[in-house]
Amino acid sequence: MIEFKLNGETVSTGEDPNTPLLWVIRDTFKLKGSKFGCGAGLCGACTMHVDGVAVRTCILPVMAVADKNVTTIEGLSDTDDLHPLQRAWVAHSVPQCGYCQSGQIMSAAALLDNNPSPSAAEVESALAGNICRCGCYPRIKQAVLAASDAMPQFQNALSTRQEV
Amino acid sequence: MHIENVSRRRFLKTTAVVGGGVVIGFSLTGCSSPGPLPIELAEGGFVPNAFLQLLPDNTLRFYTPRDEMGQGVTTGLSTLLGEEFDFDPLDMDIRFAGVHEDYNNPGMGVQATGGSNATHAHFDQLRQVGANARALILAAAEHDLAIGQEQMSTDNGEILVGSERYPYGQFVKTAATLTPPTEAPLKAQSAFKYIGRESTRVDALAKSTGTAVFGIDIDLPGMHHAVVKRSPVAGAALQSFDAELVKTMPGVTDVIEIGSGIAVVAERYWQAKVAADALEVSWTSVPLSKVNSKTIRADYEVALTSNEALVPTDEGDVDAQWNSAEHVLEADYWTPFLSHAPLEPMNAVVRIQGNEAEVWSGTQGPVAAQGLVARFSGIDPERVKVHQTYLGGGFGRRGTLTHIIEATQIAVATGKPIHLLWSREDDLKHGLYRPASLMRLKAGVDAEGKILAWDAARAGGNISEDTIKNMMPALFPGLGDGMIDWTVGLAKGALKGWVTDPSSIEGLFEDYDQVHTRIKHTTINHGIPLTFWRSVGHSYTAFAKESMIDELALASGQDPVAFRLNNTQNKPRLQNVIRVAGEALQGMLPKQGHYLGFAAHHSFLTDVAQIAEVSVQAGRIHVHKVLCVVDCGIAVNPDIVRAQMEGAIMFGLTAALHGEHQIQDGEVMESNFDNYPILRMTEAPSVDVVIIPSTDKPTGVGEPGLPPIAPAVANAVYRATGQRLRSLPLRLA
Repeated sequence: MIEFKLNGETVSTGEDPNTPLLWVIRDTFKLKGSKFGCGAGLCGACTMHVDGVAVRTCILPVMAVADKNVTTIEGLSDTDDLHPLQRAWVAHSVPQCGYCQSGQIMSAAALLDNNPSPSAAEVESALAGNICRCGCYPRIKQAVLAASDAMPQFQNALSTRQEV
Repeated sequence: MHIENVSRRRFLKTTAVVGGGVVIGFSLTGCSSPGPLPIELAEGGFVPNAFLQLLPDNTLRFYTPRDEMGQGVTTGLSTLLGEEFDFDPLDMDIRFAGVHEDYNNPGMGVQATGGSNATHAHFDQLRQVGANARALILAAAEHDLAIGQEQMSTDNGEILVGSERYPYGQFVKTAATLTPPTEAPLKAQSAFKYIGRESTRVDALAKSTGTAVFGIDIDLPGMHHAVVKRSPVAGAALQSFDAELVKTMPGVTDVIEIGSGIAVVAERYWQAKVAADALEVSWTSVPLSKVNSKTIRADYEVALTSNEALVPTDEGDVDAQWNSAEHVLEADYWTPFLSHAPLEPMNAVVRIQGNEAEVWSGTQGPVAAQGLVARFSGIDPERVKVHQTYLGGGFGRRGTLTHIIEATQIAVATGKPIHLLWSREDDLKHGLYRPASLMRLKAGVDAEGKILAWDAARAGGNISEDTIKNMMPALFPGLGDGMIDWTVGLAKGALKGWVTDPSSIEGLFEDYDQVHTRIKHTTINHGIPLTFWRSVGHSYTAFAKESMIDELALASGQDPVAFRLNNTQNKPRLQNVIRVAGEALQGMLPKQGHYLGFAAHHSFLTDVAQIAEVSVQAGRIHVHKVLCVVDCGIAVNPDIVRAQMEGAIMFGLTAALHGEHQIQDGEVMESNFDNYPILRMTEAPSVDVVIIPSTDKPTGVGEPGLPPIAPAVANAVYRATGQRLRSLPLRLA
């Protein structure tokens, strides 16, 4: 059995340890927000956080996350509110088909956690691994920059909550 | 409770109380529609027509007849209905309609989504539906409140009488007893409050939280996962395979032969995938097995000069103009096979229980999905329930549903609910493609820069043949295989011998004023499966046409904008977008080393002009900025118009800079995003969209932004480097 934390809850799985994390999350734990796009770590639709780092989970064996913290789009915001990125995504009507957006948001969230005020070039390079076939790139970039302005407040709310 | 057991007849004849809900039916078109509406009736719910159900608590369910693949049609159509019903689309509970004739695309006569026509085709219909329903609610309120309608107004789902507000839902019971009007008056454009409003998409929240449901997300009890191993060469037949090894692999329950290959079924997707990868299969050789990219191109070269070419257009006397023309130019343009590569790979879930079947999939043709499940399960189409989901990208790819055939065959053979998923490799190597084209253009201009004659030939495949082959079994599930083959053969013969598929040449010649025009077409299909690809023929004809126009302008010593203005006197709307873009161009001051390229094109009833700002550094083409001017009639949701222009530009840039399939021994060589790259954020230009204000009926938005971008970039590259690139993708020497 492989044990890890999934969106804050401890879970365990007896799946083949070589199974990519994406399929364990989707088929065993039934969280469908993370998507399958290429199976080769090339498009970023499957992006989750493993110990806070954005990772392509379609090529990451589940055994690699033993005893680690896995966060999916479903667990992105630990508050009752949406994550500032998600609010910016709605405000800018970012999604078209929407299929890649969980991965885009998870990559962007990892960026903002490490660099709360990125430049446009930093956003581009952080999201270069995420393909959007509908071509929402200009809006994704605008939304990440807009969300970065709201990050301090969000992080304050998070830390206040954790102290309680 | 479901109302599938209520016959449409009863619907029409009575105002019946069904399961605690009140339904009345009328057909908007006046035609009788067979079968019940696939609407789940809520307690006390009122269904005045196929598109809406109003609940006593004032919830409005809108059953959207078109499929949402990102183009924003759900927002657009709910806005049309909401405008006249007076109900904010952002407050509606929107659901995908099931299969029923009432949900047919009025522009196609079938329940399908494509061709950038939905807003245009539904513009009058859904506003009329909304207006009729509003009039009905007002009449019911007049009855219940004993107040004259002249004292009432409405505001977002409520009737206002003085300072009192009454939710629409309060009147559903009375409304159900009244005769619904059929021609309630429509608002003037000046009174629109939702149409033209700057507003977010109705699906933005679900798609920003991972909660939007796509076909791949369907998960049923007892469901098994299937992966199909297919021939590397399209059309090759199975020779032999060894199932013994993989049958013993973990989780594998079935290894079966189906029409398109070998299906491996397992309890988990990953188990099926690992087993299918381990499966050894051999295939027969077919004529396509001898085909390579080079031989295809060579065959097209020969075909261009074939005396068997059809001549769908021959106006004036083209050949008489060459001597009198000041400049005559001739050039060949090449565009390759392309994949749609929607980010969600093809998938379908099929469950068969007794003589009932269900299918879950995001498709551009729910009625075709129903027909295919019926045909390949032997179940009556009326007993096949289609659950439409969001589409993780369509672009034309999800109009052909061989994956639904596969899932049905596997479900029938195994008796299990089946979740079939294609890999990215399956998508790119076993897909349906945008046809490759070789186009030869010859044009002459007079001393004033007026185009005298336009002589264009195209060689390449037709999508119609494959479309007919794929659609016939879907639309006529009861027809025998022999009949289908015969009909398809007949249609193919007709296409080959008599007529040119319009989509093969659309956009090649129509936009400019020349009097003398000749179009030749030679069909040459090697067996690579073909289908509609975003903007279809325009995706390649615009590249040839607008590159040639640029060459003609330069040869004439004219500014490319002035040249186009001079030659679009008979196309005022196209001329206007060129003029507006040209004025904007005056104010664009490209940085040193940046160059501007111009292109314009009419497609899907919409006119678009684009300017690309490009630089070339170390042999690489960089597109920094795009200005896009669009006239699409009334912009129902201006922000979605902008988004579609942005998206189409990015889609077109992938084709302009990267997109190309190579064929080797009949096999498509590209397999994933490493060798079939998609434009990434680091390459994406900023885009400014200017929407021309209009009082005209809305026209296409999903596709028209694509055709001008490749020639706009190519024309800029010429200015940057002096190299005239006449093949896509653009590659510098």
